[in-house]
Amino acid sequence: MLRILAERHRLDNGLTVVLSPDPAVPVVAVNLWYGVGSKHERPGRTGFAHLFEHMMFQGSKHVPKNRHFELVERAGGSLNATTWFDRTNYFETLPSHHLELALWLESDRMGHFLEALTPETLENQQGVVLNERKERYENQPYGDWDERMLRHLWPPEHAYHHTVIGEARDIAAATLDDVADFFRTFYVPNNAVLTLAGDLEPGPALEAVTRWFGDIPRGEAVPAVPGVVDPGPWVEGTPRETVEADVPLPRVYLGARIPSFADPDFPAVDLATSILGDGRASRLYRRLVRERKIARDAVSFAFPLVHGRTMMLSWITGYPGADPAELEAALVAEVEGLADVTPAEVDRARALSETRFLSQVAKLSTRADLLSMNQLLFGDAERLNTEVERLRAVTADDVRRVAHAFFRPENRALVTYLPREDRG
Amino acid sequence: MRTSPTAPDRTRPPAPGSLRPFHLPEIASARLAGGLPLRFIPDRRIPLVSGVLVLATGEAGVPVEQAGLAGLAGDALLSGTRHRSGVELAEALEARGTSFRVSTGWDASTVAFTCTAERLPETLALLAEVVREPAFPADEVERLRRQRLAALAQRRADPSDLADDVADAVLYPEGHPWARGILGTEASVTALEPGALAGWAEAALRPGGGGLVLAGDLSLEEAEARVAEHFGDWGGAPPSPPPLPEVVLPTPRRISLRDRAGAVQSELRIVHPGPPRNTPDFAALQVANAVLGGSFTSRLNLNLRERHGFTYGARSGFTFRRRGGEFTFSTAVGTEVTGAALRETRSEMTAFVADGPTEEETARARDYLAGVFPLRMETAAQLASRVAELLSLGLPDDTHHRYRDEIRGVTRDAAHAAIRTHLDPDRAPVVLVADGAVVRSELEALDLGPVEAA
Repeated sequence: MLRILAERHRLDNGLTVVLSPDPAVPVVAVNLWYGVGSKHERPGRTGFAHLFEHMMFQGSKHVPKNRHFELVERAGGSLNATTWFDRTNYFETLPSHHLELALWLESDRMGHFLEALTPETLENQQGVVLNERKERYENQPYGDWDERMLRHLWPPEHAYHHTVIGEARDIAAATLDDVADFFRTFYVPNNAVLTLAGDLEPGPALEAVTRWFGDIPRGEAVPAVPGVVDPGPWVEGTPRETVEADVPLPRVYLGARIPSFADPDFPAVDLATSILGDGRASRLYRRLVRERKIARDAVSFAFPLVHGRTMMLSWITGYPGADPAELEAALVAEVEGLADVTPAEVDRARALSETRFLSQVAKLSTRADLLSMNQLLFGDAERLNTEVERLRAVTADDVRRVAHAFFRPENRALVTYLPREDRG
Repeated sequence: MRTSPTAPDRTRPPAPGSLRPFHLPEIASARLAGGLPLRFIPDRRIPLVSGVLVLATGEAGVPVEQAGLAGLAGDALLSGTRHRSGVELAEALEARGTSFRVSTGWDASTVAFTCTAERLPETLALLAEVVREPAFPADEVERLRRQRLAALAQRRADPSDLADDVADAVLYPEGHPWARGILGTEASVTALEPGALAGWAEAALRPGGGGLVLAGDLSLEEAEARVAEHFGDWGGAPPSPPPLPEVVLPTPRRISLRDRAGAVQSELRIVHPGPPRNTPDFAALQVANAVLGGSFTSRLNLNLRERHGFTYGARSGFTFRRRGGEFTFSTAVGTEVTGAALRETRSEMTAFVADGPTEEETARARDYLAGVFPLRMETAAQLASRVAELLSLGLPDDTHHRYRDEIRGVTRDAAHAAIRTHLDPDRAPVVLVADGAVVRSELEALDLGPVEAA
């Protein structure tokens, strides 16, 4: 029985503080979730949340540019940040006697970022992000798969219609006022959860957090996510797209809309997705890679998103010269075939999920992230303690039921990549 | 904006608190009937168990013409047993939510896993099957051989890996196992006979000199009982490897240059023989190295990266093995600054060995090392790995318990004495993978020794 302790507090300015003591090692993980992600971006201003994450490392009033990484590294720690559809997180892990360093760094950029914002740093980071977009999305084989898939899976009026990295022209067009506005709207203590996990005593830790964050003024309530929340359970119409591109091998991507991460059916859908394509005993790997040898690899996963609905993605890569219609038919057949999963398959998928989840809880940095996630998205940090129970409650019948309900022709989009014919 | 009366001083980074205590759990020790040593650390926080099986065998026991045999056999353990094919094995492991990770070293090899506490008995059964009854199916061995050859080819193409391999060949005499990379050579791996794997495994995969480490959510009694079920009657010990040939540094020191025409960067290595892990100078050398090149604020990093902008990173380190060790300085610099970077490096190293660290540098290094030590010991999986290292290196069980105190007890003078004893910058070979046409003359002008093609 997992019993991770998490005390919750709220400062006067609305900052939610989660304290999870664990005296085993003199290490502390500091984790900050802001309730802002790509879903909050309006058309014409996509990519802002991610651009903003970059900006947050360019210094704040009392922390010189680029010093974040160096200061944490000098203390022997590590740090990073990520942007996602539903949220942005910032985190560091350090020897516990350096806790105040982390609190200083995070509170200074939460409360005093604008004073260090200059046209030069904005332009500089716009360049960095546009380069990142080129490198990872435009110049990478299959790099734009998610851009294409999202457009099919979500209507334009839904917040998941655009990618986290955003449109190049929106990134390039961002002005200093846009960025300042974004900060004032979303980077406020009442829109944040700060988790400390590891070697800490709740009393002194709360005192330290209050000392560093207490003087940051509360912001306005955060605006609602624009557009439609629930576009319905199905994609409708099986949109499909074929792309000739600079890719070495043909690949078929399949996406489906599924119940949100917060829905009671999500664990069953997640296990179905794992049975489909996670690991060497999965259906896609066993049948298409090993037995029929028509695929080189297979992937399948569900996104843990909460805005109305979320999505399942799966893809298989074919061999040179493969018939894309055969690949597509094979993938689709396996997806539809999930209506007959066996209890043994459910047990396997559950065993993999359990070990993975518990390994994440074991490590302080990921434990702190899970605590922040559960607090921000569910209002209950300690919800992680019942994750294994939720997994164990899923039966083979549940998995068959959700597979039948959601993995059907009316609810899929297909994007196929074909190697460009050599015209040289 | 209203400020709180207790607003902190934000104008500078807050000072750290004092180092916090670290209470490593006790390591329980037992021995099974057949001879397998057992080490056990309880960790009831999370319902997981991590295990590492340590085998006192590795590539150093393999004759040079068969280099790669131990590693290939290790990789092939997961390809099938007498009872199930590789595919069936993979499925059996996944069904229990676990996997095995095999790693072959010079003097020791390991098989590691993490599973939920309730799946430990089945996982140990599979572990015993894999290690005691491997089948080495010919087609799988062939596939793994090809993979190993591809990895060797990739090393030649990567300038950093290439520099490491050239440095090994320069530092160690022919016939010394470390003169080759741990993967073997293209010639030796090509020549491997699949039939040789079974013979190797029969002799080498034995409990003597090794041990099984378990850490996690169970009791010592459960651990002993579970392990005894599948390993209780497992006996024997691997053959001892031949003694290592002596390493003699050439005089005069030379600069070995592997040409890469058109290279935008030069990979630079400076290497030197080092003491084994059980050297009494271990803590002092850790502290000294942290100051020289083992941390962000080290002399070498601050000089080459911060002051001169030659590189994104420059590091030095001692590798302490069970038998012997080595010192390596490593960096990649722009081609056009190669001569200058080598000059600065030499200057820092020479000054450091001559004068030693300052009191302040020593204090900072002690704090840093003591501070980061627990970062690698958070989880049961990490604890199991750290204890497995003790078995691999033949170190006493309380080694990690003593570490922080030993580090904090290192004086400035002790750090200086240790680095002076174990590092002679004037004799340390210099190795470069670089554009010879551009850098050769500046290297010669440094007058550090003859520049030879490597």
